[in-house]
Amino acid sequence: MLESARSRLKAWAAAGIGTAAAIAVAGVLGAFEARHAQVPVLAPANPIETGQWLLQPVKAYVSSEKYIYGTLRKPGAKALVFELDMTNRTATSTKDYFELLQANQPTIDPATKPYIVLTRDGTLSPELHPGMTERMAYIWDLPDGAAVPASLDLNVMSKIYKQRDNLYGLPGWFNPSAIGTLDVPVGPAPDNAEGQP
Amino acid sequence: MTAQDLAQDNRLGEKKWRRRSLWALLVLIPLTLAVEAYDSVKALLVDNDLFERRVAWGESAHFGGSDWKLTDLRGAFGMKNLPPGTVPVLADFAVTVGNPDLQNLWLGCKVMLIDAEGRRWLPTSAVRLNAPDNVQTCISAIFSGAKTGDVLNLRETFLVPKDVTNTIRPAVGVGSERPYFLLFQMEKD
Amino acid sequence: MRRLANLVLLLVAVALCYGLQMSKPHYADLIGPIPVRGKVGDVVVGRSFEVRVEKVQFARKLRADRYGETKVLTTGGVWALVTVEFAARDASTVVSTASWRGPTRLTYDHTERLSFINNGFLPVTVDPGLQKKARLVFEVRPEEVGNATVLISSKLLAALDSQAEISIGPVAASSDGMPAGTVDTLDLTQPVDGLPK
Repeated sequence: MLESARSRLKAWAAAGIGTAAAIAVAGVLGAFEARHAQVPVLAPANPIETGQWLLQPVKAYVSSEKYIYGTLRKPGAKALVFELDMTNRTATSTKDYFELLQANQPTIDPATKPYIVLTRDGTLSPELHPGMTERMAYIWDLPDGAAVPASLDLNVMSKIYKQRDNLYGLPGWFNPSAIGTLDVPVGPAPDNAEGQP
Repeated sequence: MTAQDLAQDNRLGEKKWRRRSLWALLVLIPLTLAVEAYDSVKALLVDNDLFERRVAWGESAHFGGSDWKLTDLRGAFGMKNLPPGTVPVLADFAVTVGNPDLQNLWLGCKVMLIDAEGRRWLPTSAVRLNAPDNVQTCISAIFSGAKTGDVLNLRETFLVPKDVTNTIRPAVGVGSERPYFLLFQMEKD
Repeated sequence: MRRLANLVLLLVAVALCYGLQMSKPHYADLIGPIPVRGKVGDVVVGRSFEVRVEKVQFARKLRADRYGETKVLTTGGVWALVTVEFAARDASTVVSTASWRGPTRLTYDHTERLSFINNGFLPVTVDPGLQKKARLVFEVRPEEVGNATVLISSKLLAALDSQAEISIGPVAASSDGMPAGTVDTLDLTQPVDGLPK
């Protein structure tokens, strides 16, 4: 009886010490710091590297055209357009850019999904191919009567590469996290009526 | 009872249980395989038209809650603007609706042509022939709201090579009857 | 002695497990597509379809009809147009994906910018005994053109299904870096099989 109580105590102690050691190692490796890290402010003039993309911001503006790169809006409605050059840095064609830029300001509800359009011919969210830079436009519909914002405040997200995911053992990009904030001044709308379908 | 007796008892019990466990594996391993394979085998049977039920010429067969009868199978020879060596084939069925719950019973309805080698053709969208208004396809009939006793005229259009027109037979599969499907025989069979 | 033997056994087991982990194929390799290889002009026979590459052309621009209006599609790289002839084997089926794998294994998926054309482009329905021509269109970097492989499969994740892998062979480059024989504009407005629409 005494024997078994002692061995049980030993087992509990071993499990406790093991857990404590695991947490300590995780702490040393920095598992708990990511949550509190401040993300840097990115300069719109410089290229931005995320895991999969190389981004070069071009311009942001508010447009009240009916068609912006083929996307249709109601009469009188306005949209905030952000144009940038995007280069796929990976080895395969991908359209994993829906979470790349997240609007952060009071005029745009962060839940509003932008249209993401290839400016070349107005194709809606096409795959972009390895090493081929394309001018893309993120187009957020502004709510009716919203004031024209002076600048566009974005969170730039990045993902990390895993050679094998835990479910299918396939390579992929996972765990989006912000790598910085980007503040692009909103300029005047370009004159040329572009993007007729 | 001394400590030594206890230890010996434990050892005997261990041995007995080890032997029992090994025998249990004989049952457990096949059982595991069966449980693991169950979904795959079920999917294989439910998703595929595997076993034919032959229907003699002129007769009707109860299938998916209704009575199916092949009324005509003919080639539309002499049409222009088709790839060379091909011919459109029309298969006509008269279906007397029994159970009107077609949306469940006829789910995944598939009409096909099967030739002597077992090759299968599905309906084509490359050929459009004019049909009377009361003629439907299998899929459109599902949503027609037909009631018990109604007779549906179904027609499917296929495009096949000219050299198989003598050996092709129409066949019908529906979700509620798989893995069985109906294979209609011709007059000359 | 006994303790030492146990320790040795443990180390042997660790080494064995490590060796297995290093040398065994991964899940993704085991269930991946099964390649069927060939070259231009060969009939490559897969499980559900067979395909023959008739010719490969390169162009700076494409001309295509979109809702009755003729559009010219530009690209940041070069358009690669592969004319193929399909047939089904045992049953009518659909061929829906193709990619261009360059010499450095960068993989360019079939373009999504021509999805408004619905005849003679992917996805193609094919029937047994009936040859059907189609055009595969890729947007690639000019240096990824020579010694490339065209990959064709029935569906996107062709797990345990055959994938036709057709090698294009060397392509000479002209002085401006474009592949030799690159034309200015290729016309896609005419149906590939010469039959009226």
